[in-house]
Amino acid sequence: MVVDATSSVCDLGALDSLNGDALKEIVESWNGFCFATDALLKGNGDCSHGSKFVSQAHALCKHGLESLVQEHFIGYLEETFEKNGASKFWRHFDAYRNVAALGMNMDPIQKDRVQQVLCKALEEISFEKQYQEKCLFVLIDALQSYKDSTSDKRQNSDTERLYLISKYQSMVSSVLMASLPPHFPGKSKVQMPETKAKVHDLAGDDYRSSVLESIKEWIQAVPLQFLHALLAYLGDSISYDTHSSGLKSPLASRYAGIDNPSEGLVRWKLRLEYFAYETLQDLRIAKLFEIIVDYPDSSPAIEDLKQCLEYTGQHSKLVDSFISALKYRLLTAGASTNDILHQYVSTIKALRTIDPAGVFLEAVGEPIREYLKGRKDTIKCIVTMLTDGTGGNSSGPGNTGDSLLEELNRDEESQENTGVEDDINTDDKQAWINAERWEPDPVEADPLKGSRNQRKVDILGMIVCIIGSKDQLVNEYRVMLAEKLLNKSDYDIDAEIRTLELLKIHFGESSMQRCEIMLNDLIDSKRTNTNIKATINQPSQSGAGNNEFSLDILSSTIISTNFWPPIQDEAFNIPKPVDQLLTDYAKRFNEIKTPRKLLWKKNLGAVKLELEFEDRSLQFTVTPVHASIIMQFQDQASWTSKNLSAAIGLPVDVLNRRISFWISKGILSESSGADSNDHTFTLVEGTVDTSKAGANTGGCEELLVGDDDGERSVASVEDQLHKEMTVYEKFITGMLTNFGSMALDRIHNTLKMFCVADPRYDKSLQQLQSFLSGLVSEEKLEIRDGMYILKK
Amino acid sequence: MAAINHHHQDTNTPVTANAISSSKQPPPSAKSVDTQSVHKRLQSELMALMMSGDSGISAFPEEENIFCWKGTITGSKDTVFEGTEYKLSLSFPNDYPFKPPKVKFETACFHPNVDLHGNICLDILQDKWSSAYDVRTILLSIQSLLGEPNTSSPLNTQAASLWNNQEEYRKMVEKLYKPTA
Repeated sequence: MVVDATSSVCDLGALDSLNGDALKEIVESWNGFCFATDALLKGNGDCSHGSKFVSQAHALCKHGLESLVQEHFIGYLEETFEKNGASKFWRHFDAYRNVAALGMNMDPIQKDRVQQVLCKALEEISFEKQYQEKCLFVLIDALQSYKDSTSDKRQNSDTERLYLISKYQSMVSSVLMASLPPHFPGKSKVQMPETKAKVHDLAGDDYRSSVLESIKEWIQAVPLQFLHALLAYLGDSISYDTHSSGLKSPLASRYAGIDNPSEGLVRWKLRLEYFAYETLQDLRIAKLFEIIVDYPDSSPAIEDLKQCLEYTGQHSKLVDSFISALKYRLLTAGASTNDILHQYVSTIKALRTIDPAGVFLEAVGEPIREYLKGRKDTIKCIVTMLTDGTGGNSSGPGNTGDSLLEELNRDEESQENTGVEDDINTDDKQAWINAERWEPDPVEADPLKGSRNQRKVDILGMIVCIIGSKDQLVNEYRVMLAEKLLNKSDYDIDAEIRTLELLKIHFGESSMQRCEIMLNDLIDSKRTNTNIKATINQPSQSGAGNNEFSLDILSSTIISTNFWPPIQDEAFNIPKPVDQLLTDYAKRFNEIKTPRKLLWKKNLGAVKLELEFEDRSLQFTVTPVHASIIMQFQDQASWTSKNLSAAIGLPVDVLNRRISFWISKGILSESSGADSNDHTFTLVEGTVDTSKAGANTGGCEELLVGDDDGERSVASVEDQLHKEMTVYEKFITGMLTNFGSMALDRIHNTLKMFCVADPRYDKSLQQLQSFLSGLVSEEKLEIRDGMYILKK
Repeated sequence: MAAINHHHQDTNTPVTANAISSSKQPPPSAKSVDTQSVHKRLQSELMALMMSGDSGISAFPEEENIFCWKGTITGSKDTVFEGTEYKLSLSFPNDYPFKPPKVKFETACFHPNVDLHGNICLDILQDKWSSAYDVRTILLSIQSLLGEPNTSSPLNTQAASLWNNQEEYRKMVEKLYKPTA
């Protein structure tokens, strides 16, 4: 070590010239120097060892070991300072770290005490420092005097002195910082708890504003000021520290002030900022669920989090914490599918800000998607969100504003934009733009999760991905559209056309073709309807002109059955005059559109009717069945359920269910007759229930046509699916009878291969699995080690 | 195969020979029938079989090959075979339905008209075959053959001689019955 250090400073020729005596002298001086250094520094302000120290130093310098002397001395100073100064200094604050961790609410007395402790600590440390500096000057003087005695390179020694001082300065501040953590374990470093409390205080639970800036300002204003004061106090205690402005070492600049921050201060600042970022990030991550719940309002908080994460890089923390929050709070049986979907959309939007590449989104979205796949009403909710944006239940919170329809629009706009700059070499241009925009995946990206191109954040894509295939989504949409269209009485389908156009952009023309035909049916119906109305004044050839009703009140929707979803049929007798009207309408249609004929679906549609009583009149919009029921009471005020069911042609139980609507409106009353199965329904004349009647009088009561007992004009997708699945069930039973046990894959493949006639097997593996688990729960099948077997 | 049963009672075959489809004459050579139509025919037979819901008979094509089926029949109630289940293999020729499929018992079956290798002696599977028969009728015929064997020209003489003693026969069936797992 000694030889190494020497050789690096002296030229090798000097080494050769050393004889045995010289070597002996060096070793002796070295030992003496070390001893003297020790004595000097432990001397507690007593410089009595100074003369010996100086002579030893001179002896070493004589042999060209000047730099060695410096190194050793500084090293020794550092050791001593760390032992005596820094550790003592920080120990003063030990008692206060808990106080600080608890928050900033210290009373003035306590603050005062802290202040006092701080002063005391500072005093102590600067005393230590001053003494060390004194020692340093002894060394400097020793070196100086040696140089003076040998030569007259005065100008050089000044640099040397400054060099030593600045080296000492940087040593002091680094020792102060380095000695910090062991004494203040974890986050309770003297500044940290304060910072943390401040961050908590500033951040709070308000996500509507960005707090990062104010935190930064605070750091600048409060803790950095403190540190500045501390470091300056230490630094300024060197008397001639100030007049050394001319020669600045790049390592140790002056602690001149915050405007001209020293290296130590910069380090402290970075450290504090990192800590603040981390604290804020932890705070936001812990509350990320709530933040995303109020997403559009809480975007400043998201923006903060994004910056914090860029700084700290702890994205995986976010993913883990958020997933567990999701599992605990959202993906539970109590949460409605709508809420989950809305949260999913908000999550996508929020995380898109934080991570445009969608890498973390992939990880976070996975559990939500998996969970949603298990819910039966997921598709329905998604389609509702897609088409009207208000969500399934408009009462749900946060439903407005994050409709997917808006998302459809947004995407369309962006497509239009690209369409504008569309010219000959789009491909080259696009390729160039893509190349320019390329960014490497974040380190946290899971390489197994596909390449970047597939991870483009596309909300619709991610939603469709829940459903499994776009066909299912389109199918569900078709059912919903059919329901909507069939209940329209004004042919006003502008909104639907718009939605369809948007969907076409996303899912392709061909998949939306049937929906388009449905809309065209409506448009055609409108035209046909007008044409038929135009013939009213010309007596029809059949001569059935003398109706109670005029054709004016009737409008029809003519549908191309093949393209519509299966339509529920319910046979019942329409009141004679209305039936006559329908026949007449159909005849006129036939005259216009020969050879086409109208086949009425009499249970579909809506009837607007007005009930006139002696003292009031009420308006309703109801289904044809309801209308037929109430019309029976026009001529006969009281019916037994048996007679009424015969007259209307509905089974008694169905009739009872339907008639309850009129009973609940207070129009009819029910009384059980002699036969408990045969009730009597009587028309309520006059105002019996004043409150109800009062609410109704003069009011035009609109009633949703499809009422609560799940009556729909169109067979729902589930019903259709169920019907198909019963066919598959027979196949599955057949194959399991003959093969004993089969795995899911094999059942799937076998069905694909052999179930090719109508209905062709076209289900996904996942659909099959859910169907099979249905059969298992019905105790038709058993599953053992992943193999399905028939339950005997 | 010494004795072949040509005198099977007709009660086992629900479909009469007159039902041969008149629209299509059997072609001169088997090669000229394209497998596509055989495929189709088997496909629709499968569908019919699956939808028929007959209890005690079932069959399904083996993986990848619609010409090889596995069948299952259970012994009818009130016969000595009650409670047993037999696996069959059905192998369809390329000129099906003009030629009958080869049907064999895979499970050992102690029966006068079934030999030790599982070969079945049943007229509709040999010279009385008609293209009007299908998998379903074959399986139904075999099921009823179990309860009503033709003991006059047996493949298994021991079984034929024991048939008259139904109690002993039942014991024998139970003793030899080895259901597949």
